[in-house]
Amino acid sequence: MMKKSKLFLAQLSLTLVVCAFLIVPVIQSVMAGLTVNYLIGLKSGITFVWFVRVWDLYRDTIFRSIMIGLACLGCTLILGVPAAYTMVKKQNRLTRLFEELLVTPLAVPGLATALALIISYGGLTGFRRSWLFILVGHVIFTLPFMVRSVIAVMSSVNLNQFEEGAASLGAGFWNRFFHIAIPNVMPGILAGSLMVFTLSIGEFNLTWMLHTPTTKTLPVGLADSYASMRLEIGSAYTIVFFLMIIPLLVAMQWVAKPKKIGVIAEKTETIQNVSRGTEMRKMESSPIYETVEEQRRAVSGTSLHLENCAKTFADGTQALKPFNLEVGAGETVVILGPSGCGKTTMLRIIAGLESPDPQGKIFFGDVEVTNVSIEKRNVGMVFQSYALFPNMNVAENIAYGLKVHGISGENKERRVSEMLEMMKITDLRNRRIDQLSGGQKQRVALARAIAVRPRLLLMDEPLTALDAKLRDALRVEIDSLLRSLGITAIYVTHDQAEAMALGDRIVVMEIARVAQIGTPREIYFNPQNRFVADFIGTINHIKCKVFEDQLTFPAGRIPLKSAPHIHARENEDVEIFFRPEHAEVVEAGQGHFKATVAASFFMGDHTRLILDWTGPDYLTIEAKGNQSFRKGQKIEIRLDPTALLTLKV
Amino acid sequence: MRRRVKLYLLFMIAPALAVFGAFFLLPLARLAIASAAGPLRFKIYLLSLTNPRYFTTLLNTIVLSVAVTLATLIISGFSGVFLTRNDFRGKSFIVSMLTFPLAFPGVVVGFMIILLVGRQGLIGDVTQSLIGEKAVLAYSLVGLFLGYLYFSIPRVIITIMAAAEKIDPNLEEAARSLGASPFLVIKDVLIPALVPGLISSGAICFATSMGAFGTAFTLATDIDVLPIVIYTEFTLLANISGAAALSIVLGFITWIALSLARTAAGTTVAAAG
Repeated sequence: MMKKSKLFLAQLSLTLVVCAFLIVPVIQSVMAGLTVNYLIGLKSGITFVWFVRVWDLYRDTIFRSIMIGLACLGCTLILGVPAAYTMVKKQNRLTRLFEELLVTPLAVPGLATALALIISYGGLTGFRRSWLFILVGHVIFTLPFMVRSVIAVMSSVNLNQFEEGAASLGAGFWNRFFHIAIPNVMPGILAGSLMVFTLSIGEFNLTWMLHTPTTKTLPVGLADSYASMRLEIGSAYTIVFFLMIIPLLVAMQWVAKPKKIGVIAEKTETIQNVSRGTEMRKMESSPIYETVEEQRRAVSGTSLHLENCAKTFADGTQALKPFNLEVGAGETVVILGPSGCGKTTMLRIIAGLESPDPQGKIFFGDVEVTNVSIEKRNVGMVFQSYALFPNMNVAENIAYGLKVHGISGENKERRVSEMLEMMKITDLRNRRIDQLSGGQKQRVALARAIAVRPRLLLMDEPLTALDAKLRDALRVEIDSLLRSLGITAIYVTHDQAEAMALGDRIVVMEIARVAQIGTPREIYFNPQNRFVADFIGTINHIKCKVFEDQLTFPAGRIPLKSAPHIHARENEDVEIFFRPEHAEVVEAGQGHFKATVAASFFMGDHTRLILDWTGPDYLTIEAKGNQSFRKGQKIEIRLDPTALLTLKV
Repeated sequence: MRRRVKLYLLFMIAPALAVFGAFFLLPLARLAIASAAGPLRFKIYLLSLTNPRYFTTLLNTIVLSVAVTLATLIISGFSGVFLTRNDFRGKSFIVSMLTFPLAFPGVVVGFMIILLVGRQGLIGDVTQSLIGEKAVLAYSLVGLFLGYLYFSIPRVIITIMAAAEKIDPNLEEAARSLGASPFLVIKDVLIPALVPGLISSGAICFATSMGAFGTAFTLATDIDVLPIVIYTEFTLLANISGAAALSIVLGFITWIALSLARTAAGTTVAAAG
């Protein structure tokens, strides 16, 4: 809350004085141009005679200015927009140098530029005497504005993702430029165009030097009229200038205003029970299968084979150590790992957005695709940010890949409708992308990717951006979808619950290397090393020494014969691992060791206990039943010896 | 595959490079050469410091530009911050009025000044009725100063308003929660946050004033600024090398000022007018 203090009034007065300083002469010129006699003022009456004179005297300069302005606009569009695109896509020394140089026409006074042009090209009299000479000066002066405006918008829009999305659907370079890049930088192009045209109309410094008596422009005419004509004529001419400028300024302000977008979200997205056979949708004219297995066998997916693939980036960082991967046709493999482990890099190598280091090879089925670009690999890709094209609506997004592949007309429409139905978004057909909720965008992205019947479906953390409940629901849907399509899918995530739910097999990744590949059960019950054991679920560990056929540790001991799968010699140091659910709270005297409750969390079907004990780390165990625990409570723990693990580190 | 993309990209930037090189870089190089083509060769640059006429002109222009920059920063600073932080009826109207002259070329600005303080100017009439003497300021240094102020204020106000809007209001609220008075808030929170914007817009203002031609041309004052001298040297005295050398000196000074602005602001800026 601001009080109308003295400070406020002082500032207001100052601002009003400045306002008056700027606007009063404008009002004066308007009045002067409209009254019969400036010296007498309004009392002498309103007239348009001055405008008539101005029109007679300066009509051709006005037209010439407009012509030069439009020509300048055309030139800057043709020269500047592609150049801006190149400068954003390819950032190397040349483009950066050009970007720096592009600022110089703004730093060098117009006079100097004009002088330079005259000295260099003044000799070509035809050129020198035509309006093209002025055009050249204007283009040089306005080009930086157009380029800057387009670059600004291009950098802020996530153009790269959209182009990769388009590439994964098969679109080539020019298709991507005209259908994806240009429509999405239109605000920058518009703003730049308005700026260029306005600057060209009002340009004086350059033009005064470059003009000849036959190539005068509007500002040149203004200078003439101020010097040699009556004040009224100069004023009327100035009014004409104002009238031309005002709509341009208003348009520029309107373009600059950010537009509000509204998300039309659905109420709740509930689990759709697609897995029931009766509701399964058919793809093309496929026969009905007796079992899911039979359907799975008649797959439309391809097998994938990566051999000795590694990835080292230009600056020397090794993002992926050499690895092999086999994926069977129709299988869903999940790449699971913490942030920065290289899982997205692995996916991009499979997609064709990155190439593996020289000795790596990639095969789709029997065909080697190592050097095939993504446009030709026919992979369906779902990006983390969905990468839906903002310049198209839902149906157009889904249809895009089909268009690129030459499918049109009825076939295209039928396929789009099929996809909309399959993903249950038929009523979103004509929605704009910025009106969709996260879950809706997810479905559209999936529909778009599978519309072109890819051999391989690649998904990069598609559910990460959604809230927990939605994620659970969509996870089930995606699982059913993948099984019913029989497509080969590679799914990247850092969420282990997702991995366990969706994957036929899981590739667990540590930083830059593969830690273990196996089914969810194998990974969970037989982790091959400590990282995997710790990453999936929780794992506890106890350092023991074998003494008298017992695994002994400070707090207690476990007879070796109750854990026959552990092979250890006398006096050997063994580290045993166990999961929280393989320990139970027991009565005194019945357990393997004692511990104190440090914290307890009631989770509904069990209580998670953090225990303090003689070992170096806290233990995490699950207590079943509805016993409640206090902090500091002393309890006794019994482990299930058959579930103990010994692991490599 | 990827080589083809590189080729396409080259094809897309080549026309702009060609036009820019042919019609700007090459001519500028020729300008530099032309400056040394006269009898004095490169000593002509020294002339800009030793020749009394050139030197006074250069000095006048610099002093004028500095004065305009300081005045503009102070005035626009006050008004810009005031407008950003206060909402009242008619505010958007005032803002539009303050930014409308943004698109005026120098000639129109000169004309505005003539209407205000010229021989038949408004101020002249006012002073005539008040003290019996007509104040005609347009054709003196004051008029030039007012003219430069006229085209500088809208530019700088817009920049300052944009910078002031970006300031996190939480900073101010934190200061107030710690007991700072409005004056201290302005001194310790507002002004330090605005300093980059002030530096960059100040540098632009300086550069624009140095290179301004249209305004001085229209006002046709006795006092010469560098762009006018360049113009007369070239068109009336056919002193190509002299005009070229002075242009390069002028361009060099503006370029330094704008580089300063860019490092302070981190974005590209322009001088025009």
